[in-house]
Amino acid sequence: MGSGYEVFLEGDNLARLLGGLWVSVSIALAAMAFSLVLGVPVGILMTNRRRWVRAVLQGYLQAVRVLPPLVLLFVFYFDLTYAGVNLSGQAAAVIVFTLWGTAEMADLVRGAVTSIPRHQYESAQALGLTPVQVQASIVVPQSLRRLTPLAVNLVTRMVKTTSLVVLIGVVEVLKVGQQIIDANRFDYPSAALWVYGAVFALYFAACYPISKLAGYLERKWQTA
Amino acid sequence: MDWTLVGDYLPLYGQAALLTLAVGVAGIAAAALVGLLVAALRYFKTPLASQLAGAYTELSRNTPLVVQLFFLYFGLPKLGVVISATQCAIIGLAFLGGSYMAEALRSGLDAVDRIQPESALSLGLTRWQALRHVVLPQAVAVAAPALTANVVFLIKETSVVSIVALPDLVYVAKDLIGNDYNTVEALALRVAAYLLLLQPISLAAQAWERSLRRGIGV
Amino acid sequence: MSRINIKPLALLLAPLAVLTACAAGPAEGANEAPSDSGAVGARTVQQIKDAGSIKIGVFSDKAPFGYVDSSGQYAGYDVVYGNRVAQDLGVKVEYVPVEAASRVAFLETGKVDLILANFTVTAERAEKVDFANPYLKVSLGVASPESAPITDIFQLNGKNAIVVKGTTAETYLEANNPEVKLTKFEQYTEATSALLDGRGDAWVTDNTEALAWTQANKGFVTGITTLGPADTIAGAVQKGNTDLLNWLNEELVTLGKENFFHKDFTETLEPVYGTTVSADDLVVEGGKV
Repeated sequence: MGSGYEVFLEGDNLARLLGGLWVSVSIALAAMAFSLVLGVPVGILMTNRRRWVRAVLQGYLQAVRVLPPLVLLFVFYFDLTYAGVNLSGQAAAVIVFTLWGTAEMADLVRGAVTSIPRHQYESAQALGLTPVQVQASIVVPQSLRRLTPLAVNLVTRMVKTTSLVVLIGVVEVLKVGQQIIDANRFDYPSAALWVYGAVFALYFAACYPISKLAGYLERKWQTA
Repeated sequence: MDWTLVGDYLPLYGQAALLTLAVGVAGIAAAALVGLLVAALRYFKTPLASQLAGAYTELSRNTPLVVQLFFLYFGLPKLGVVISATQCAIIGLAFLGGSYMAEALRSGLDAVDRIQPESALSLGLTRWQALRHVVLPQAVAVAAPALTANVVFLIKETSVVSIVALPDLVYVAKDLIGNDYNTVEALALRVAAYLLLLQPISLAAQAWERSLRRGIGV
Repeated sequence: MSRINIKPLALLLAPLAVLTACAAGPAEGANEAPSDSGAVGARTVQQIKDAGSIKIGVFSDKAPFGYVDSSGQYAGYDVVYGNRVAQDLGVKVEYVPVEAASRVAFLETGKVDLILANFTVTAERAEKVDFANPYLKVSLGVASPESAPITDIFQLNGKNAIVVKGTTAETYLEANNPEVKLTKFEQYTEATSALLDGRGDAWVTDNTEALAWTQANKGFVTGITTLGPADTIAGAVQKGNTDLLNWLNEELVTLGKENFFHKDFTETLEPVYGTTVSADDLVVEGGKV
């Protein structure tokens, strides 16, 4: 019986864990990129004067929040085949996380936009700016600053939620960890602690730089 | 949809929903307290405590609850500390949610001009009074969407407590799918249960958010 | 649940998905013709041969039946069988990692052709999928601390039994001993840690697993070595895919003649279970128990 940490030296275990981490991170980053692009306009629409626009978007937000990601993954990966659409596990995962990310992002944008004091709009209008100009030069720049730390929360949240994708056949870091623990459970009975410790460290290593980058951007924009 | 099955499953889901709610509420309350404390320590840049709070925030925000729970449940007994699954779940949620609450509050606090607490202090208010009466009401209003999103997020995060064998909604649904494969009924009930749990919370949160905004006139 | 009933859910979200899918380019296999049974993507033996590869759903973390070894290769008792199936079909094999809770969904939607994931045959499951003839039989065992041994299942009434989700132990106890409280985990290692930490009075699992584990862990015994009737484990195909099902059953007869599963046992299970179990206690040759 080995003492535990030696399990990483067996075969390609360490490389496999890193490969699994990349699966998590790449799904989260792709979904986040789509969410950023889609979330900003949707969020601004959420503050639209027309009641039905707000109602439709609120409906979407609530639906995505209430439906667990697991259900959405099942629908997009399995159920869509009945409608003739056969997505790969990765594609289904990116779509589901984009749907979720867009909704959350949009809500953050909405929160940031509505937190800008009314007098700023009024002053801008008084200066003769058009509604689009008001958005572009006053609302969006200020909102973005407030948004950054919150949007980063979302990326890390996504990386961490990707562990669900194993149910649709995509193997990410946590699953690789469980595979290693299980395959070695007779030779390395205490592998669990070490492997979960490594998974913990890997998640941290992936998410921490993203957080730091956001902090840097935040400071930079504040002084600008 | 087989409605007799739904009838059979209903009591199981009822119990599971109660457990999800109980763990969620306790965890969120604890997370809110942790979040407030951490945000305050960092806001006032209290020496050492502020750095500790910062380190905690990074650790909590950048690691998943599943792994945190695994440590509490399977790791601590190796050090001689055995705590129940429910305790693990609540501590885990507080550890995870605390940093999210703190970050939300921090973005709100940053939106309040530093001149305000300084003026409050110069008027003779204590730090705590300045925070409680001047800064926090505005910060909470700004942070409200993020705070309410966190509440919903944390209730949904309870879904991972099934890994420490707590029979919550996910545990029950996965069980039924794994044994009988009545996937549609099991998942539909799970969605319905979350809807019934989250919708009132979500609506209440929105109402709260609006009233806060009116309160500070933005 | 019939297949019709799942459709509204899919149709509800279909427009959205189609939009996204179109934006992302043509979806893989979107134009695949449905088979005669009307099910999605079930492939006949000929279609699999024409495609040149078979998709088999296996466990990736249930050693020694289906797991991924340290070099990232699928291995185990089920995988040795799967490799042989592919070899005799003359096609390449593509393994898809499945979970207990998603095994049936993978088959129903044609995401895999065959499931070889330690799949215990039960009446409920036979309504959803078609089982081939069995290739393994298991019985349950109960591991407990030496200081408080469980030698009769009724001793567990009102007490906590640890089980791994999706195993026979779970279904058996729920049906036959409802007074036993179950604490369920996803992984074998979680179950054994929980037993070591005193989070349950016993661990109910396949008898092979119980014997192997108690042999390696001082202070624990397998107080019950056979519990309930022996269950059989078989491959499963999509409901109505009789073509592939018949082929599998004929293949089992051929394999029986060369004692294939005894060799499989020696290669994959014996190193783990040692001499505690003999091959004849587990292996089913020719598809006949």
